[in-house]
Amino acid sequence: MFRAPTFQKLSSPFLFTARARNEGLSVHHSPPIATNLVHRRFRAPKSRNPREMAPLKSLEREYPIVDFNFQQFCASNGIFSVEDFLIQDLYVLAALAEQHSTSERLKEGITQVLSVIDTQHQPWLNGLELLEDAQQNKHILSSGCERIDMLLEGGFCEGYLTELVGPSSSCKTQVCLQAASAVAKIGGVVFLDTGNSFSSKRIAQFLISDPDGKEGNQNILQKVLKSIECHSVFDIFTLLDVLHQLKPNLTSQTGGRVQLLIVDSISSLITPILGGSGSHGRALMISAGSLLKKLAHEHNLAVLVTNHMVSGEGGTHKPALGESWKSIPHVRLQLSREHGSNICNMCILRHPYMASGKAVTFMIP
Amino acid sequence: MGEEEVVEGWLEGAESAKSMLSRIMREQPLSLVLPPPLDRVPLRLGNVVEIVGPSPSSKTHLLIQAAVSCILPKEWNGVNYGGLGNLVMFFDLDCRFEILRLSQALKHRIMEANGTRANPNWEQGDADAFNCNQKKGPHIECDRELFSSCMRRFLYVRCYDSLEFLSTLKTLHYQLQKERETHGVDVHFLMIDSIGAFYWIDRASTSVAIKGNNRKCHSLQTVSESIIKEIRKLLLVHPMLVLATKAANLGERNSQKWSSENSSDMRTVGNGPKKLPYREYMPSIWQSFVTHRVLVRASDEDSKHHNSPIYLSQWLLPSLSVSDMFIITDAGVSTL
Repeated sequence: MFRAPTFQKLSSPFLFTARARNEGLSVHHSPPIATNLVHRRFRAPKSRNPREMAPLKSLEREYPIVDFNFQQFCASNGIFSVEDFLIQDLYVLAALAEQHSTSERLKEGITQVLSVIDTQHQPWLNGLELLEDAQQNKHILSSGCERIDMLLEGGFCEGYLTELVGPSSSCKTQVCLQAASAVAKIGGVVFLDTGNSFSSKRIAQFLISDPDGKEGNQNILQKVLKSIECHSVFDIFTLLDVLHQLKPNLTSQTGGRVQLLIVDSISSLITPILGGSGSHGRALMISAGSLLKKLAHEHNLAVLVTNHMVSGEGGTHKPALGESWKSIPHVRLQLSREHGSNICNMCILRHPYMASGKAVTFMIP
Repeated sequence: MGEEEVVEGWLEGAESAKSMLSRIMREQPLSLVLPPPLDRVPLRLGNVVEIVGPSPSSKTHLLIQAAVSCILPKEWNGVNYGGLGNLVMFFDLDCRFEILRLSQALKHRIMEANGTRANPNWEQGDADAFNCNQKKGPHIECDRELFSSCMRRFLYVRCYDSLEFLSTLKTLHYQLQKERETHGVDVHFLMIDSIGAFYWIDRASTSVAIKGNNRKCHSLQTVSESIIKEIRKLLLVHPMLVLATKAANLGERNSQKWSSENSSDMRTVGNGPKKLPYREYMPSIWQSFVTHRVLVRASDEDSKHHNSPIYLSQWLLPSLSVSDMFIITDAGVSTL
């Protein structure tokens, strides 16, 4: 189930506009209260007004037990929304309800809200169910490059957020485009382009150089290009916006299921908002990472993002997204290119089940 | 009861040394089944263990190995597996958990315990070994049943933000009762991977502080307080060992190839006069909730043991002078 996006909790004024634009199109299937909750957080209430009660009140329609009396009781304890319930000690609340004449009804109300809360988290799964999901729904997509597939035991995994990190001209975009051209033959690809790096010519070149697809190239090229949906994204808010709009049943124009989502490069969207003393930049970074992982898991997408490198202390190079980003992706792959040649190197920095340090050299056609 | 009796009762103490000893023997320390380095100190149900370390430092792998020990039965069809045969609850806050990793580790442990009985088909370490229908010996069938029953004892939930985490905790009491009824055994391990996952998001939401009335605002502080309060209450009713990982930045001193970029913005919560080898960022309420803490980290990049990276561990709470070196393979954790 796709629910209210994580980043809505944030309070940045930018975010508010991002959300407002997003409002009509977003895909949450959550009960209306979740959206209402978020809404009211941005309207700093000056006095207690009817609108203030909206969140709990919105439950009343569906659950008559959450009546005016119950809402009054909650309001007197500083609870106006289901969200407020979460940070309350419900045992204390139940004890307070005990002192009222209508204690039974109040306690029933608390239980009712608890059962609403129970629908707001992801379902509990046991190991077997997880394994079944992994084996049946999470496929491995060929990267289009035999050597990379060899290194990664087949290619990029659906359900994973995979990061390519490397200095400029280390073939990060080339690996992305090649993967896009390979996956677009069988399914849909969404390419989020932050630096006008997408090139349909390059896609065509990859297709021509592919030994399997010599016949009917023109038809394949048409099909492949139709299967790739490219969006220009120049800031983090647009990125979050676009990600929220991706439909639950992601289908491309040719009807194939979207299997690959590329953000090239995610670091160029996030680095401008980092730095300074505020934590909003990092919060947005974590939210974006979390949202990408959620999409990857729920829609069985392989997500590929790139991270460029900047110069660090002592003339060394370090990834633009460093320590606090490091713990977000499932897979981190380091790319480098031998000076003056088109021989590239890919090295596993982290992988959920493969040893790090394994590397391979490959050539980009 | 007269006053004298009360005094006598008080003098006698709550229990005799003998009964205490027998109680403690009964509540055997969990360290018997925990993988190193967690076996260094006696851990009991109700303890809160924090595994802290930079990424990657095998934190999740340690959890997986501990989970395997918990879900494996003590004995099955006459073979000793040395597990606890209890349930594990795993909160995936990082959303990076890989179930194949757990299933592989579990298969290895089953195979290992079977010893000579191991079927060569298993040796391939193939994830599909169980699904191979062609050579279905009676042992394979039985091991498959064991495997499935173990996997069913592993309970997993992922949370994409603090509020989802809180929602899950708020209703966990009912979930625990339900699982206990279904499986007939208790949840012994509660795992959280990793506790600091939403730190930045919660910290940013501090500024939303809606004052007025007696309404609590959502902030890092109130959210952490509620999380800890919920876990504390659960532990009273359902004694469990809490194993939580926490990603930490080691200082510049220890930074390897890429030094840390965000040194300016990490809040240092002082832990007494003792200098921590990493930057602490979780609120002090979490710090005081933790009863045991172990630091893990990867040793130098190049040092490897049979192609497995070597990790170092150091107990910070209680502070032990010994430092362990260990490697992790599918077969388990082994100290060097």
